[in-house]
Amino acid sequence: MRGIIGRVLGGTVLAAALAVLLAVVARPAGAAEQRPLVVGMELAYPPFEMTDKAGNPAGVSVDLAHELGKALGRKVVIQNIAFDGLIPALKTGKIDLIISSMTATAERAKSIDFSDPYLNTGLCLLVKKDSPVKTIADLDQPGRTVAVKKGTTGHTYASKQIRKARLLVLDKEAAAVLEVVQGKADAFIYDQMSTYQNWQKNPTTTRAILEPFQKESWAVGIRKGNDDLRLKVNAFLKDFRRRGGFEKLGDKYLKEQKDAFRKLGYPFYL
Amino acid sequence: MRLPLTHLFIAARSGRKETIPLPARLVGFLVAFLFVTLVFAYAFHNLQYQWGWEAVYEYRQKFINGWLMTVAISAAALLLSLLIGLFFALAQKSRFLPLRYFSKLYIETIRGTPLLVQILVFFYVVADAFGIGNRYVVGVVTLSLFAGAYICEIIRAGIESVGESQLESARAIGLTRLQIYRYVVFPQAFRQVLPPLAGQFASLIKDSSLLSIIAVSEFTLNAQEVNAFTFSTLECYLPLAVGYLLLTLPISLLSRWLEKKYRYAT
Repeated sequence: MRGIIGRVLGGTVLAAALAVLLAVVARPAGAAEQRPLVVGMELAYPPFEMTDKAGNPAGVSVDLAHELGKALGRKVVIQNIAFDGLIPALKTGKIDLIISSMTATAERAKSIDFSDPYLNTGLCLLVKKDSPVKTIADLDQPGRTVAVKKGTTGHTYASKQIRKARLLVLDKEAAAVLEVVQGKADAFIYDQMSTYQNWQKNPTTTRAILEPFQKESWAVGIRKGNDDLRLKVNAFLKDFRRRGGFEKLGDKYLKEQKDAFRKLGYPFYL
Repeated sequence: MRLPLTHLFIAARSGRKETIPLPARLVGFLVAFLFVTLVFAYAFHNLQYQWGWEAVYEYRQKFINGWLMTVAISAAALLLSLLIGLFFALAQKSRFLPLRYFSKLYIETIRGTPLLVQILVFFYVVADAFGIGNRYVVGVVTLSLFAGAYICEIIRAGIESVGESQLESARAIGLTRLQIYRYVVFPQAFRQVLPPLAGQFASLIKDSSLLSIIAVSEFTLNAQEVNAFTFSTLECYLPLAVGYLLLTLPISLLSRWLEKKYRYAT
C-alpha cells in the first residue's frame, strides 16, 4: 500500500515540477522597447570574432556591435552561437542581429535581410607548396581534392561550381588546413584574410593564391521585415565609415594583413 | 475484489513474476505515448518557426546517401569492436604480463580521452605516419577501438559475474578450460552482457557522427550540409533523429529477444 502512495506522490511531484518548468520555458519575451540589443556571432574567427585572455568576447565585430549599440542608445549583449545556428537563432527571435563575418549571399537573403555591406573580400585558395595549381580552373580537374569548411561560402561555391574534383567537407578550419599541409587535399577554398593567415602559419608546406575568384561582401544580418532596425544599422555604418571608424578598427586588429594586401595589390578594405 | 479497470493500469505481481494482459499493455503504452506527444505538441505549437520542407525534400538523395554510409560504417565498426573487445577482455586475463598491461593501458587511455581527439590524432598523426590515407578505413578502426574499450569491460564484467563455486564444480567434474568457457561461463555471461552491449552499440552508431571531423560523409554531416544550404534547421535535424532510431531500435529489440531466449530458470 505504501508503495502505491509513494509512487502516486512521486508522480504528482514530478508532474508539478514539469508544469513549473513548462511555465518558465513558455513565458513570452518581455516588452520590445529598451530591451538590450542581442547580437549573435561565432567567437571562433579571429581577429573578427574571438575571446580575449579573460574569456570575454573581443574582435572587430564585437567593437562594431558596441559602437552600433552606442549609436542606437541600447545596451549590447553578445551571444556566442555556432555559425550554422546563427540564421535559425535570428529567425526564431533569439537574437536581433548577426555580426559574424557573414557574407551577404542571395541564398541567405531568402531567409533573412542584410544591411549594406561593411567589408569587401573574396574567395581564394590555399594550396600545397609544390602544387601545380595556379587557378580555380586548374583545381577543378579529375583526381584533385578540394577541402572546404562546412556552411561557408566556399562550401556553397564548391558544391555548385566544382564538378570534376572530389569535395571534402570539414567541420573545422584547422582540419581543412591540415588536409592541405599533409597533401590529402590539393587546396582549401576560404576567404582572403584567413588564407593569408594560414599561409603565414605554414610557410614551408603551403602557398596562398590570394587573387579572389569570387568577390564577396560581409553585412549585418537582420530579421526579415525589421526595416526600422535595418535603416538604423545602415545609417550607423555610413556614419561610422565617414568618421574613420573602420580605418581605426583595421589598424587595431589587422595592421599586418592590411599592409600585406596593399603591397600585393588585392582589393581589401574594412 | 479488484475492478477490471485497475487491471488496465496496475500489473498483478507475485514475487518477481508479473502478469500483464494485452489490453493493459496497449493502454499503458498509449498513455505514455500520449503524454510524450502532448509535451512535444505543446512545445512545437509555441514555436515561432516557418517550416519549409520543400528545400529539404530536394536534397533527399543526400540524406539517403549519408544514412547508407552511416549504416555501412556502423556495421563494420560493430563487428570489429566486438572482436577487439573480446580479444582485450581475454588479454586482460592473460598470464603473459606485457599483454595484460598493454590491454589495461589501452582501456584506460581510450576510455579516459574524448573520441574527437582520438579521431584527429589517429587520422592526422598515426595514420599519416604509417601512410594510410583512406579516411573511411581510419574512421572505422578508430571508432572500433573506441567502442572496443567499453565492450571489453562489459565482457569482463559478464565473465566475472559467474561465481567461483561454479568454476570449481566444473573443474571437479573434469571439464577442460575451453569446455568451462563454452558450457558454463559463456551462456551465463552472454545474458548478463546483452543489455549494456546493446546500449554500447547504440552509442557507437550515434558516435559515428563524430567522424565528420575528418570529412567522412555520413548521415549527420550530410544533414548539416543540407542545413547550411537551406537554413531549414529543424527540417534537417528531425529526419536525423528518425534515421538513427531506425538503426538503434532494431538493436535493442534484438537484444530483448535474445535476452528472453537465453533466460534460464536459475
